[in-house]
Amino acid sequence: MIKQFSVFLENSPGRLANLMGILEKNGIKVLAMGIAEAGNYGIVRMIVDNDEKAFDMMRKENMSVNQAEVLIIELERLANAVKTLSVVGVNIDYAYTMDCGRAVIKVNNEEKAIKALSEAGLKVYPTKC
Amino acid sequence: MITKSYIMPRSEILELQSRRLRSLVRNVYEGSPFYRKRLDDAGITPEDIRSKDDLRRIPFTTKSDLRDNYPLGMLSTPKSNLVRLHASSGTTGNPTVVAYTLRDIDNWAELNARCLEIAGATSADVVQVAYGYGLFTGGLGLHYGAEKLGAKVIPASTGSTKRQIKLMKDLGTTVICCTPSYGLFLAESAREEGLDPKEDLRLRIGVFGAEPWSEMTRKLLEEELVESAHDIYGMSELNGPGVAMECRAKKGLHIWEDHYIVEIIDPTTGEVLPPGEKGEMAVTTIMKEGMPLLRYRTRDMTILNEEVCECGLSHARIMRIIGRTDDMLKIRGICVFPSQIEEILASMENVTPHYQLVINRDGPMDKLMVRVEISEDFKTDRLTDIVDLQRRLENQLRDTLSINASVELLEPKTIPRSEGKAQRIVDMRKI
Ligand SMILES: [Zn+2]
Repeated sequence: MIKQFSVFLENSPGRLANLMGILEKNGIKVLAMGIAEAGNYGIVRMIVDNDEKAFDMMRKENMSVNQAEVLIIELERLANAVKTLSVVGVNIDYAYTMDCGRAVIKVNNEEKAIKALSEAGLKVYPTKC
Repeated sequence: MITKSYIMPRSEILELQSRRLRSLVRNVYEGSPFYRKRLDDAGITPEDIRSKDDLRRIPFTTKSDLRDNYPLGMLSTPKSNLVRLHASSGTTGNPTVVAYTLRDIDNWAELNARCLEIAGATSADVVQVAYGYGLFTGGLGLHYGAEKLGAKVIPASTGSTKRQIKLMKDLGTTVICCTPSYGLFLAESAREEGLDPKEDLRLRIGVFGAEPWSEMTRKLLEEELVESAHDIYGMSELNGPGVAMECRAKKGLHIWEDHYIVEIIDPTTGEVLPPGEKGEMAVTTIMKEGMPLLRYRTRDMTILNEEVCECGLSHARIMRIIGRTDDMLKIRGICVFPSQIEEILASMENVTPHYQLVINRDGPMDKLMVRVEISEDFKTDRLTDIVDLQRRLENQLRDTLSINASVELLEPKTIPRSEGKAQRIVDMRKI
C-alpha cells in the first residue's frame, strides 16, 4: 500500500515554501502533491520518495503531519477507473495527479476498490512512480 | 479541638457580621493611622457604621495600599502584639507583608479546620500538606487546620515527589493538600513508579487550591488520585488558605461569613451588585486583629450565592473563581476571561492550550478572534475534519462567552512561548 502524507499548513505566503524548503534540504523528492484549503488554513497532501525520512523530519519540525493509505492508478484510464468504482459503490474522497502519468486516489473502501479495479483489468500500482 | 459553633442559622451569621463590623471599624480607627485617615478623609466616624449595609460608604482597600504602606504601615495593633509575619513575593516592587496576632493565628487554624471538616475529614485522618511552608501561607495554614481538627499531619511541603509518594504509601495518608497541578503530577509520578494511585494509596480527600482549576481537572483528579477533590480558596491578605471551601455537595465554596464579609462589586464602577451577579469580590476581615482590611479588593471575579446549601450550612457560597479582574476583557460590553477560553481548549481534543486572543473593532462592533495551535497529534487527511474542529470550537466559545468569536487554527509551535499574558492578548481596538 502506498503512503501519503498530509500536513496542516496556515494559508499564508511562505508556509508552503517553508515545507518544500525543508524537504529539499533533506534530499526528499516530492512525487505528487495536492492542496485543499479552507479559510486561513489548508492541507497539503503529497507522495514522497522516502517516507520514513520525511516523517521523522516533519515531526522534528513540529508539523502536524498524518499518514494515510492511498491507491495509485493509471491517469490515462482514469475515466474507466472512476466509473468502475462508482458501479461498486466506492467513493473517492479526493484525487490528484502524478507527473509520471499516474493518479493518486483516496477511497472509502480500499479492499473493494482494488478488487473492482483488478477485475476490470485496470492497474493499481504497488510502487510510486 | 474544633468547635461546631460555625453551624448556625443565617440570621445569626448576619447579626454577628454587623456586630463584629462595628467593633472592627472602632478598632481600626483607634489602632491604624492609615484607616483613621481613610475614614476621616471620607467623612466617616466609627459611629456611622451601624450594620453591614453601611459598609458601602467606606472606601475600598487595594493591593497598592498594601504596597504603598510597606512593610508594616497597615497594622491596627502595636507591633508588640504580633507573633507572625508572612510576605508574598511581588513580581514588581515591594512584597506584600501580612501580620498576625496570636488570636489571628488561632482563628486561621479554626477556619482551616472547618474547611477540612466540611470536605469530610475527621480526627482519624492522616493529612499530608504538600503546599509550601515558609513565607507562603499555604503550608502552615492547612497544617494548623489539620492539627486543630485533631488529625495527624505530615508537613511534607513541596517537591521531592518520590518521597511524597513513599510517605503517602507508608504512613497511610488519607488527605492530600496541594495545588491541583501538583496533584496530577503526583498521580503521574506514582504510575511511573508502578503504583496505581487509586488502588495502592488511600487518598480519600484532596484539598486543592492556590491556583484556578476546572471541573475537567476535578474529574481527572478523582479518576487518578483521590476519591473526592475539593477546591479551597484564600489569599495571604485574608490570612491565607481557608477563606472558603467546597463542601461535599461541591456546588460552590462556603465562605466563612462569621469572619469575612463579602461584597460583589462592579470592577469598573465599584458599585455593589445584587446577589447572583458576577463581579469582583471585596472582603472585609471582621475578625482580624493584626492587619484587618476593610473592603479589600481581591481582584477575583465570582458570583455569591446566599441560599442555604444542601449540606445544611448557611454560610454563603462563592462560585469557583471565574478569573482575575486584571485579566478581564470587555468585549461588546461583556466580560470575557482568558481562563474561560483556556478551559474550553483544555476540554477539546486536537487543539493545544496555546492560544492568542485578538480583539479588533469593525465599525461599532468589537470582534474577538481566538487563534489556537492545533495539536501535533491531530491526525487527519481530510479538510472537513479540520473545518469541523473549527466549527465546534466556535460553538463552544459562543455558548460559554455569550458572544461570537471566530477561530483561526494555527500550525503547532507558532505562537511565541513564555512571554506572559501580554502576548496572549492583542487588543487592536482604538478607543
Ligand atoms: Zn455546602
